[in-house]
Amino acid sequence: MDVTGCAKKESKGWSLSTILRTVLSVPRFRVGVQFLMWVALLMFVVDTVAAGNGLTLSKQSRDTLAVPQWLYLATGGATIGASALLASFVTDRAFIRYLHSWSRTLPSIERWWDPLVWIGHGLGVAALVLSVFLGFAGPQLPTASLTILLTFAGVRAGLPIVTYFVGNVWPVLNPWRTIAAILPSGYREYPDSLQRWPAVGGLLVLVWVEVIFPISTVPTVLVMVILIYSTITITGALLFGPESWFDNADPLSVLFRLYGAVAPLQRENDEIQVKLPGSDLRSSDVVTDVSDVAFIIALIWELTYSGFITTSAGVTTVETLVSFIPAMVANVEVRAVLVYTILFVCGYAVFLGAYWYAGRLSRRGTGTYITARTIAFQFAPPLLAIAAGYHFAHYAGLFVSLSPALTMALTSPLSPPANPLVLSPPSWFEGLGIASVLIGHLLAIWAAHAVAYDLFSSRLVAIRSQYPFIAVMIGYTVISLWIISLPGAIPPYLS
Amino acid sequence: MEETPAGTCEHCGHPFPTSERLVLHKGIEHPSQLDDSEQEAFESAVTEEEADLRTLRLKALAVLVLLYFGLLILYAIFA
Repeated sequence: MDVTGCAKKESKGWSLSTILRTVLSVPRFRVGVQFLMWVALLMFVVDTVAAGNGLTLSKQSRDTLAVPQWLYLATGGATIGASALLASFVTDRAFIRYLHSWSRTLPSIERWWDPLVWIGHGLGVAALVLSVFLGFAGPQLPTASLTILLTFAGVRAGLPIVTYFVGNVWPVLNPWRTIAAILPSGYREYPDSLQRWPAVGGLLVLVWVEVIFPISTVPTVLVMVILIYSTITITGALLFGPESWFDNADPLSVLFRLYGAVAPLQRENDEIQVKLPGSDLRSSDVVTDVSDVAFIIALIWELTYSGFITTSAGVTTVETLVSFIPAMVANVEVRAVLVYTILFVCGYAVFLGAYWYAGRLSRRGTGTYITARTIAFQFAPPLLAIAAGYHFAHYAGLFVSLSPALTMALTSPLSPPANPLVLSPPSWFEGLGIASVLIGHLLAIWAAHAVAYDLFSSRLVAIRSQYPFIAVMIGYTVISLWIISLPGAIPPYLS
Repeated sequence: MEETPAGTCEHCGHPFPTSERLVLHKGIEHPSQLDDSEQEAFESAVTEEEADLRTLRLKALAVLVLLYFGLLILYAIFA
């Protein structure tokens, strides 16, 4: 190979432009060959995933795995490690760029755009008004209350699923945006130094409220939270202008924008483009500040946390910690709230710290002069694929089981049936959860690979720079696979 | 990390810890601004990189094989 390379160089006198032209406009057949190779490698990984699923599905209950738990977790971690190794085989810059910039423009829907937007606006506002009204006046049974079903089956479970599988429709649906847009606004300049920190805080507070208060069971409590959220959101949007408020400070809008970065449909310059899922995770404008990284880690952490406290291990942990606090300090509810809060904050700090440390290690390992900050910014968007995978693993079942109840509540919101239909998802849904966690990580590994190639000119350094992040991803996978394998339980001490 | 860089890109001012990485950077990011000697250096750096990548691929393959058979044996024993 080397000999022929030298011979070529001498005989043809390869100029740089020739090399680059060859590298950048790779003949189609070469791309084809590489694509086939990649598909073959991926098949191998998917086979491993499928084997893992089979093993866990062979028994009816998830607490009696045929495989010891540590082996199941090791297989999950090894799948991520192996796929990172496989990704390192793909060293053709042109091919990586080709896959990540592949896009097709959909036929223009300009004629339909305005009516669609108006329908979206109308639906959003109607849903908000109806939710608030029915929270007070409607049925108080959780599975019959449209307020609870719309919030949890709709906004918490269904809408993010639509967002990362199809595209982000929240800017159109967002009722608070619609309301703020028709009112006079923009009395103050949004402080640039705040960046997305208010959204990070808002997301953490929303999840904390979801855990501590019975908003998923008592409609009136949920309505109070919706009203407080609406007041803050509309005040903020009017004060700073809807544009900067919903881009920076509103947790829901930032959440949907980030989940939307995973989606295959992207809106660019009034055109809708189809891309390969996760292609946009390579783009550098998804994360532009530390607060964006903090938000993405918060997305992963909140799913891990709310998953963990609803398992038997979570219940034991909370009970043990509560018993550690002396009884005279406060009554048991207050101590429980304290434990839940401390767990929530500390776990988030650990997740954030692990990621930040990976950024520093990556910088040290490569000896680069690119700052650890830049490295951490660039590698953060791929984590969104992981967050999407977790979300699907945790919420697909909830969405399916509540969707008949939601349909019924939508058709007759004031007089729903006394005994609404709640489906129990089929047993293969558990396998679907494991698969979605793993597929999310595979997508993240692949996106991180592309990011590294954009960031570093030396391909060896690009591969080396990914090691700490792959270690973090293996850690996240093992934790979340462990959580989905645990038997479910009701968080103690909370009404 | 804080020691003096081996070289700095004269087109964008970015410092690099080794001269090979500077050469690769210039070849990939500023292809139109190279002179003949830089071009030659880039070509030989790419060739060298290919050789290193081959070694890395072999190592990765070895780890994959180890991982595969390791898990296979573990499954044979424990499952």
